[in-house]
Order: sequence, then C-alpha cells, then structure tokens
Amino acid sequence: MKNLKFIFIVNILFTVLFLNSCKDDDPIDMNDEEVITTLTYTLTPTSGDVVTLSFLDLDGDGGDDPIITGGILQSNMSYIGVLDLKNEAETPAESITEEIEEEALEHQFFFTATGANLTVGYADEDDNGNPLGLVTTLTTGDASSGTIQVVLRHEPDKSATGVQSGDITNAGGETDIEVTFDITLQ
Amino acid sequence: MMKIKFFFLSVLFFPQFLLAQSCNLTLTGIVLDKGTNIPLEYSTIFLKNLGQGTVSDKHGFFEIKNICAGEYHIQASHVGCHSEEYFIKLEQDTLFKIYLSHHSELLDEVVIHGSHEDNSTESSQTISRGAITEEGNKNLSDILGNISGVSVLRNGSGISKPVVHGLFGNRVAILNNGIAQSGQQWGSDHAPEIDPFVADHLSVVKGASALAYGGNSLGSVVLVETDNIQEDPHLHGEVNYTLQSNGWGHTLNSTIEKNGSWAAWRITGTLKRQGDNRTSNYFLTNTGKKENNLALQIEKQFHPKWKTDFYYSLFNTKIGILRGSHIGNLTDLETAIGRSEPFAIEDNFSYSIAAPKQQVTHHLVKMETKYLMDDEKIIKFKYGGQLNNREEFDIRRGEARTRPSLSLSLFSHHAEAAYNGLVGEKIFLKAGIQFDMVDNGNNPGTGVSPLIPNYRSYQTSTYWIVQNDQADKWLFEFGGRFSLKQLTVKRFTQSPPRELEIIGHLFQNYALSTGLRWEKNDFFKTNFNIGYLLRAPEVNELYSFGLHQGVSGIEEGNRNMDVEKSLKALLSVDFRIQNKFFVQALGYFQNVQDYIFLEPQKEFRLTIRGAFPVFLYKQTNANITGLDLLLKYEPKQNLNFILKYALVRGNDLTNDIGLINIPSDNILSSMTYTFKDGGKWKNNFLTINGRYVFQQTRIEESQDFLSPPDDYFLIGLQVGTNFEWQESSLKVSLRAENLMNTTYRDYLNRLRYFADENGINVSLNLNYRF
Repeated sequence: MKNLKFIFIVNILFTVLFLNSCKDDDPIDMNDEEVITTLTYTLTPTSGDVVTLSFLDLDGDGGDDPIITGGILQSNMSYIGVLDLKNEAETPAESITEEIEEEALEHQFFFTATGANLTVGYADEDDNGNPLGLVTTLTTGDASSGTIQVVLRHEPDKSATGVQSGDITNAGGETDIEVTFDITLQ
Repeated sequence: MMKIKFFFLSVLFFPQFLLAQSCNLTLTGIVLDKGTNIPLEYSTIFLKNLGQGTVSDKHGFFEIKNICAGEYHIQASHVGCHSEEYFIKLEQDTLFKIYLSHHSELLDEVVIHGSHEDNSTESSQTISRGAITEEGNKNLSDILGNISGVSVLRNGSGISKPVVHGLFGNRVAILNNGIAQSGQQWGSDHAPEIDPFVADHLSVVKGASALAYGGNSLGSVVLVETDNIQEDPHLHGEVNYTLQSNGWGHTLNSTIEKNGSWAAWRITGTLKRQGDNRTSNYFLTNTGKKENNLALQIEKQFHPKWKTDFYYSLFNTKIGILRGSHIGNLTDLETAIGRSEPFAIEDNFSYSIAAPKQQVTHHLVKMETKYLMDDEKIIKFKYGGQLNNREEFDIRRGEARTRPSLSLSLFSHHAEAAYNGLVGEKIFLKAGIQFDMVDNGNNPGTGVSPLIPNYRSYQTSTYWIVQNDQADKWLFEFGGRFSLKQLTVKRFTQSPPRELEIIGHLFQNYALSTGLRWEKNDFFKTNFNIGYLLRAPEVNELYSFGLHQGVSGIEEGNRNMDVEKSLKALLSVDFRIQNKFFVQALGYFQNVQDYIFLEPQKEFRLTIRGAFPVFLYKQTNANITGLDLLLKYEPKQNLNFILKYALVRGNDLTNDIGLINIPSDNILSSMTYTFKDGGKWKNNFLTINGRYVFQQTRIEESQDFLSPPDDYFLIGLQVGTNFEWQESSLKVSLRAENLMNTTYRDYLNRLRYFADENGINVSLNLNYRF
C-alpha cells in the first residue's frame, strides 16, 4: 500500500507538471459532412396524385432508426420520377443532388422492383451519354404489391455488361445509398 | 649530444628499430558459435590491413604470431555464417574471443547481449542483421514471421502486424530502441511504423509477463534493437539494394558509422518504392507503396563510467489499399466475396497510389544516459518522445476528395529511471520507475465524425525483479510491477444536441511473475515462467463509435469495460545431440479473464447506405494454448535442415467457440547447402524452403462473413554468394518466393474476402559492406 501511495503522488506530480507545460485544447466537433440524411423519390403521374417515397435519418448512422415512407401507385400508369438527396444535419440543408449532378460520370442509380409489377427506365445521362438516374420514368403494370430498391453506386464501372440498362450485377464501385420502399399498385 | 644524434639517425634510417620490440606479438583466440558455444572449426581469421590470416583448428582455436603493435581490422568467417568484423588495438599478446552465428536461428536475446542486466528466465528468439538486410524490402512484421510462433496479420501485403502466441495489436508491445512504439495500434489495418533496417537484431520475447518493458503487453514483447557503434575510428558502413519482381519494388538503404573523436555516430537511410502487386492471375490495382526513413544514432562517452546516447528516427510511408476492397455496405461485401477477381482491377501495372490510401509519419527521439557504478551496478535514465501522424483517405465526393477521412496526431512521452546491480552477494536486482503520457487528437477538417475520441493518459509504473544465480546453472527470478493509469476522454455526445463530454478513468494494474532457468550444460537448457498480469482496456475498446472505414464495419466500444486479467505459463526446453541435432520446444498456456474482443452482432444497422455489420467490444473468458517447435539437423557443417512448427488454439470459454484471428497450424522447413569457396567467392549457398499452412477449422460459420480459406503450400528458393576484397565485401543473393505461382488466400489477411495473395516474387539483393 505504501507503494500505491508513492505512485499516486508521483503520478499527480507528473500530471500537474505536464498539465502546465502543454495545453490540452478541447476538441472541435466534426459533423459528418457527407452524410445523406434525406432521400425523396417524387413520382408524378400523367394524371392523378403525386406520390412521394422518402427515407429520413436525421441523426446519421447511429441513434434513432430511419423513417421510411412507401407509397401507393396507380396500376398501368406512367410516372416521371425525380430523386432528391439532402444533408439536413447541416443548417441550411445541403443539396447532395447537386454534387451528384456535378460528378455524374462517377455515379449511377439502380432501381430494382421485387413483387411489384413495374419497370424503371433512365431519363437522364452523364457527359459520356451513360445513364445517371436522378430522373427516371416509372411504368406500372397490373395491380400487385412488393418493394422497390434504390441504390446509388459511387465509381461504378459504367461500361460493364448490363450496367447501362440498369443491371447492378457487374457495376462494382461503392454503395452510397441503398434504401427499400414498400410499394402497392392498385 | 652525440648519443642523441645517433638515436635520431637510427630512427630516420631504421624505423623498425623503434618498433622491433613490439613486432613479436601473438594474437590467439577461439571462435565459437554465438547461440550454442560450439567451437567452430575451419573458421578463417583474417587481418585485413596485413593481408595475413589463419584457420581455426577443431577446438576453434587460432594463433597468429609475429605481428606488430597497432590497430587491426579482423575479419572472421565460417561456412554458413555472416562474416563478422572486429577492430582491435594490439598492444600486447592478446587472447581474443570471436563469436559467429553459425546457428543463427538458435540465438536468443540473452546470448546476444551477454551482460548481467539482460539476463532473464524468459524465452526469446532473435533475427540477426544479415537476415534483416536480406529481407529488408519487406515490412518489419513479415521479417518477424520467420520466428516460430510468430504469424502475421495483414491488410494486403503493404500493411502487416505481428501475431505472437495468438495475440496482436495492443496486446503485443513493440519496443523500438527500448521505447514502446506508440502508434494507432488498434486497427488491424495499422502496421507498426518501424523501418527494419534500423535494427541490428530483432527479438521476440515469448514471456509470461513483461515487467521491465513499458507498453501494454499481455506477455510477449517484440524488440527492435541497435547495437553499440563499433570502436573503430574509421568510417564504415553498408549499402543495401533490393529489386523485387512482384510490384517492381526498389529498396535502397545505406548505413554509415564512425567512432569519431568527439562521439560515435551512425546514420541509416532507407528509400522504398513499389508498384501494384500481382497475384498469380491479376494485378492488385492500387497496392503500391512509398517509404522514406531516416535514423541517427550518437553515442558519447563522457567518462569511462558514464555513457550517453541519442537516437532519432523518422518513418514516413504512403500505402495504397486495394481499390476493390473498399466497400460501401454489407451488400457490397457479399457481392465482392462472390467474385473470382476483385472489382476495379486494371490490366496495367502502375506505381501510382490513389485513394483509398494511408499516409503515416512517425518521429522518435530517445535519450539515454547510463552511469556504471562499482560491481556492475548501473543507473540509467531514459527519455523517449514520439509523434505519430496518421492520415487515411477514402473515396469521397466533391471537394472532400482530397481531404483525409481520418487524421490523428498522437504525442507520447516516456521517462524512466532504472537501477541494476547486486544486492549482497547473490541477489541481482533490477528496478525502475516509469512515467508515460499519451495525447491523442483528431485533427479538424476531415468532415467525418471520429471513430476514436481525443484523449490523454498519464501512467506511472514501478517494477522490480530479483534474480538469484546458482553456480551458473540455475537462475531464479521473481518480480512485480505496479502501475496507475489515468485516462481522460473528450468527445461529443452522439445524439443531438451534440455536447462536449469529459470522462475520466483510473486504472490500477499490477503484474507478478516468477521464472526458473536451468542450464545443465551446453547441451541442455530449460526455462519455466509463470506470470499474472492486468491490462487496462485501451481507448478503442472503451470509446470506438462509428464506421471503421478500413474494415467497413460499425464498431462500438463499451466504457464500462473491465481490465483484462491474464495468467500465463510457459515451459521451454532446448537441447542438442552430438552437435548435429538441435531442438527448441516451447509450450504455453494462457487464461485471460475478461478478454476483450470485437463481437459481430446478428443484427445489421440500417443506414441510408444500406445495412452495415455491427461489431461490439465485448468481454469473455478465453484460453490460449500453443506449441512452438524448432528442429535443426546438421549432418555436415555445410548442410542443414530446419523445421519449424507452430500450433495455437484459442477458445472463448463463455460462448464455447473458437477465438477469431487465431493463426492456423503452420510448418516452415528449409534445407541449406553451402558449396566450396571458389577463389574470392565465398559462402556460396543454396536454400530451398517450403511453407505449409493448414486451414483454420476451429471457427464457426456464424463468426465470419466467409469461412476460412483452404490450406496452402508454398515453395521458395534462395542462392547467394559473397565476394570479398581487401577492404570491403559484396553479398549477392537471389530469392524466389511462391516459386510455383500458387493461387491461395490466407486466413490472417483481411483481403481474403476480396483477392488472392501475391503470386511469384523474385528478388535480387545486394549487400555491400565497407
């Protein structure tokens, strides 16, 4: 115990010595600047109500669960789909859509429907004439229900087989967004 | 007057007159093997400035007669040894003991130093300078992997760390010149920042408890050590160059040293450039590497009893990480695992390094002053300061592209006072007090919330070890260590509103250890060690929070983590039969209560980028048992066979499953044949080696994303020769690794999910000494 006391005293002594000699600055808060908190997929039909699918996760990766809102679409209808991405953790909210438009060559969205009878086609392209996917056409078939998955790949290989027609299999790159919405066609 | 004139004349015309008296000196000596004390017959002892030499007899004995007083460079060489050079001032008949490492794989730390203060009951194994320079193009950890019981944990071929007795990272302390390496030890993607060329030898102490060493070891310690600068007043040095075919890597190193009139100094510089590695089938795009290292060593003897040395080293590296191994989420990982070759592989070789990459700079300053009192009593003061800057770059969007995602600066200070000496007649005491301070800061501007918070810690430790030596046969050792660690963490709360949070911890750690060494004779030696020690959890284990980009998982620490309590026992036996058959066997058992590990969770964390695997730091009770075996058979002095076998078993006792990242069994064998010397070409040798690594079968499917890869067998070949001139020598060797260009993956490489290991690599190594 004598040993313990001695060490304790020495430790405090050194601590005081060092505390005086070097400044211990408080850390600076670093927000995740590149976080995408909000994704909305706005579907405008040729006639009828606009449908908005959304994914909201304001506190980033950890913490509270994200809020995911699916939608009900009309069967046998054509929609124009517009994606919007934001980082709402910053004030004012930062538009990620603009960043992706600027770097269109290095990004591509992929849409995969499961169960729901619908197809998605690209309605925009990058400078090389390859698809991007911020603007799409969505065509629904007969009444059904299922899901639609939206994936954003960073640095995919756009020249790999099937990638230009929206097949993700050979795309590679890194996933920046991967969200799934429940969809009902009626 | 006449007499004086005559004297001057005679000196002028017959200078030998003055020296005649001292030109009948005799230099006698004995040449012994360093590791085993076996006399080395047919060793060549050569006085370089005279061009005169002799050969030792079967007792290792030699004699050179009728030489004048003066300064000599003596070169000693023997079949299968790296030749050694000595400098002596001959003033009278002299008896000279020469140690060569004929059995270099049998060397240990105690033998190397040979002094009382380094005596120990702990087992250790050593790699000497010659072997380091031969493989200097590799990382420190890869060179250490030649020691039985040491495996290498990798993240691609550029990043590796040693695994000793199944433990790595925070649990294996690495001492660079006596100072515990203080880098970001927590990630499996962080390698120790040390240039192997700075070392004269590398040792692994396979201990039960590291009492005298700083650092946070759970038993084993890696020592990177430089020897004292030779007493030679002339400039000497060496130049090493290696060209390797895989990655077209160039390694250039130069070391020069001199015992100058003011002080002795040595400078070491190393440059490495390497491009994309290649597996047997494709290039591993973006796996290049750049390294620039520098070290300066100064030794000053103020007084015969007072010696001071100064050491500075700079390590600077830039390492590319395989593009295809950088993944976004779980889906990406699953897609990557299913592929025959990784994404983003290019057909062309390149030296360029793009993101993902790491840039690390490490500075070390060390000062040590030693005062020798009477009767081998020594007082030492040591200071070591380190600065580690680490930047990791990911693939990012927009202007963030050029900014690092992780940028850490770690300052550390270590101060120590130690005393070694006899107490009374029989007891040798080693005692010391150490103070450590560590300050880790996240540099602002990354735009990524940090995985590891800012922290500062102060630690004060004392240790004492008593040793009792009985008739040079028994050595008994008992010791203890106590430390007090104070840790302050500053971080922002995770959920909004984000507020600064300051948390303090206080850890009391102690260690107790006892050991016994019995040397029956030169033919039989045994060591037994048992130790109990506590290890305080590190900051990553307590406070990690977020995405660990390098390994694509969300990692979360637990601030209520308890200290790890380890009990380890080791028994080693060294013996030899007729100087032909050598055995080193070491068995160990370690029980760790509250063993900290990263547990993969069943649920995934859903984010906008998809699902991520979650790893939580948890505690369990674990047992680690193992065996290291080294067998050497030398039927003739110029032919030997070596077999190394290592076995480790790790069990999580609470969950009744195997521990992850435990090396599988492996066998390393080699045969070396030394041909007859041909003129100036000496020590012409040929080595064939094979490495067989078993599949790791003690892991359940649920413990990993992918079951461990298959077993593999690799063949290597090396040929070499020495060309010797009067003042210098050149060693040339050619080495082929993975000669059959085998396609394989290794369980301890994180890249096993994505890509194969390197294919064939042929390297040419030149070592010029002057």
